[in-house]
Amino acid sequence: MRRRLLNLLVLLLIAVAAYFAWVYRPVSPEPWSDDDKAVLQSMWIGSLPPLPVDPSNAVANDAEAAIMGNRLFFDTRMSANGEVSCATCHLPDLEFTDGLQKGRGIGVSKRNTRSIVGAAYSPWSYWDGRRDSLWSQALSPLEDANEHGSNRMHVARFVTTEATYREIYEALFGPAPDFSDESRFPAAAAPVADPDLAHAWASMNDVDRKTVNRVYSNIGKAIAAFERTVLPERTRFDAYVDAVLDDDEQEQSALFSKDEILGLQLFIGEARCTECHNGPLLTNHEFHNTAILAIPGDVPDRGRIDGVREVLENEFNCLGEYSDDPVRQCPELTYVRTGPELIGATRTPSLRNLARTSPYMHKGQIETLTEVLEHYNRAPDAMIGHNEATPLGLTRPQLNRLEAFLQTLAAPSAR
Amino acid sequence: MKRLTTSARVLQVLVACLIAGFPALICNAHGSVTPDADICIIQIGYFKAHFKIFLPQKRQHEEFCEDLPDIGDSVFVMEYEHDGLGEAQIDFRIIENLTGQGRFTNLQHIGQIEDLNAITVYHHPFAVQPDVFTIAHNFDEPGEFVGIVTVRPADSEVNYTAVFPFEAGYTGLGYWPWIIGVLILLQLNYLWMSGRLDMLRNLFVVVLMCATSTFVQAADEVDAWKSRAGHFRVSYTSELQPLVINRIHNWMLHIVDENGDPVTGATISVQGGMPAHDHGLPTAPRMTQELENGGYLLEGMRFHMRGQWQIEISIDAGGNRDVVIIPLNL
Repeated sequence: MRRRLLNLLVLLLIAVAAYFAWVYRPVSPEPWSDDDKAVLQSMWIGSLPPLPVDPSNAVANDAEAAIMGNRLFFDTRMSANGEVSCATCHLPDLEFTDGLQKGRGIGVSKRNTRSIVGAAYSPWSYWDGRRDSLWSQALSPLEDANEHGSNRMHVARFVTTEATYREIYEALFGPAPDFSDESRFPAAAAPVADPDLAHAWASMNDVDRKTVNRVYSNIGKAIAAFERTVLPERTRFDAYVDAVLDDDEQEQSALFSKDEILGLQLFIGEARCTECHNGPLLTNHEFHNTAILAIPGDVPDRGRIDGVREVLENEFNCLGEYSDDPVRQCPELTYVRTGPELIGATRTPSLRNLARTSPYMHKGQIETLTEVLEHYNRAPDAMIGHNEATPLGLTRPQLNRLEAFLQTLAAPSAR
Repeated sequence: MKRLTTSARVLQVLVACLIAGFPALICNAHGSVTPDADICIIQIGYFKAHFKIFLPQKRQHEEFCEDLPDIGDSVFVMEYEHDGLGEAQIDFRIIENLTGQGRFTNLQHIGQIEDLNAITVYHHPFAVQPDVFTIAHNFDEPGEFVGIVTVRPADSEVNYTAVFPFEAGYTGLGYWPWIIGVLILLQLNYLWMSGRLDMLRNLFVVVLMCATSTFVQAADEVDAWKSRAGHFRVSYTSELQPLVINRIHNWMLHIVDENGDPVTGATISVQGGMPAHDHGLPTAPRMTQELENGGYLLEGMRFHMRGQWQIEISIDAGGNRDVVIIPLNL
């Protein structure tokens, strides 16, 4: 009897050992098939198309506007306390993010700061896509009480009176309006939650409000022209794809370790990452619920379901009167969809340079890539809506290889 | 013979235990919240919602139904099963349960409380929350509580109220979940050993394989698709050639009837998605223009993943309504 028990124990030990030996077995990468190569090419920076046109912004590709936008981007004088600029949260050294869970301007903002690298390629801005252009996006932090805490009246007056800005402004957009009559144009006014600002805004006449809005939208358009020039750089991954497309095996093994190749094979295969992280920016710019937990003390983020309502109502959207598109085609906005699938859905971020954009997710919930991968491997149920992802069942060594590959998406140096 | 009856009896007991213990243990629901299949439902007047509570910091994605095993940050969620709830004003209140009625507390007991505010620990006053309802509350101390949900439908003066007593920091389950877990394993083991589980799985795999193979065949061999009832045949050309992901574009549909004659004056609507991923199209495309000769312009198409898509085109023409499903492998 005892002997039999011992036998059983030995058998069990062998089984456990066999399992671990199988999980941690050395694996060699398969050679790339033609289909694989096509997928790799689609993710390669060489496949990045020319910048999409933005008919809603007449100065989108204007070099002077980009210079003006660049200055505005780093200018703190538009904020309520004179200390906050766009670059307070969008730090060039961190791929235009800030390394924080949630952005910090005058107060703490609602979500994690997204990178603006390659942002011009997305039809939507923000995690919930509540803006449909770079220029309309640039206008909302200025008036957000927790970010710049400013107001459009102040911003419009500042840019049209400060000597250097005024000159470029007039060259780009024509004569700047005269805001010197304080009975018509108060010191501070904006259609925001703050009762004083809202009251001042409501007391202005309609024509004057539109004049201010026009100048304000032009300022956003200049900032957008600058942001359009912020583009992703070549990474080691791109060099590797070059080598794959050239069939240069020596170069391939010089650039990528075995684990990195295996990680890339998982990325486009079993780990199903390319379902959302596809194309040369490794994002489909779409909205997905992946069951990220709410942050302490907060309800789960409603995401796109609210974003879609907001973008349709936004006065600075592509269909609105401040859009420069003469035909108002705006296909993304016209054919935008809503529905319960969008509950808790947030926009897929690019994976380029993700080593420098931690913490991850819409409220910076996840600190490390290891934890991100573990989350997707488990694919738990969502707190609200439903998780589109399904459990992957990858082993620890597989997750390590995936992470090794993700590190190759970093550009060689900080900007 | 004797052994067989014993094991049969053991099995009977196991099954009985499972049936008796399962709903009570998994959901632990009372008041207006009741278990329904594997989820809990809250009934407020004629409204229903999927009800769940999370302790995201302590229990991550684990879902609870009323009784909470821990204190701390909690999130209450109601996913509406009735559209009216998304437009209704909803008031959500949590009070300390001082009624002495424990888990049998009902609306009448609440009605007898003189000063509700004095024992309220959380209050979300009447407000509309479209699509889904969420509130967050931090339970500092363990105790007995009552949740009170009041719904005032849009354009109505009538309030509907639901009451659910619950405990927070409740660990009264003891060893029962473990015992039940073991019983489930035993049951699964029995099913597995008897081969029933395998049979089911094999059947499922065969059905799935048959389904996909016919599907793939259909996609490869035809370039015009027949509608379900056979009234129409539809073909399409994409303005975007080759068809790639993440680009908004237009399609030209060409519709003919059973005799191959072009169909004019049709009303067309489009839906679709990826069945394997349980999601729809990323845009809401529309037919915007009728072209010559049974042609129709479909604007606003976009696909955001590679894989197997299905485009469902509903056609209403000449008194016939029919649906065409176009499979598309990207």
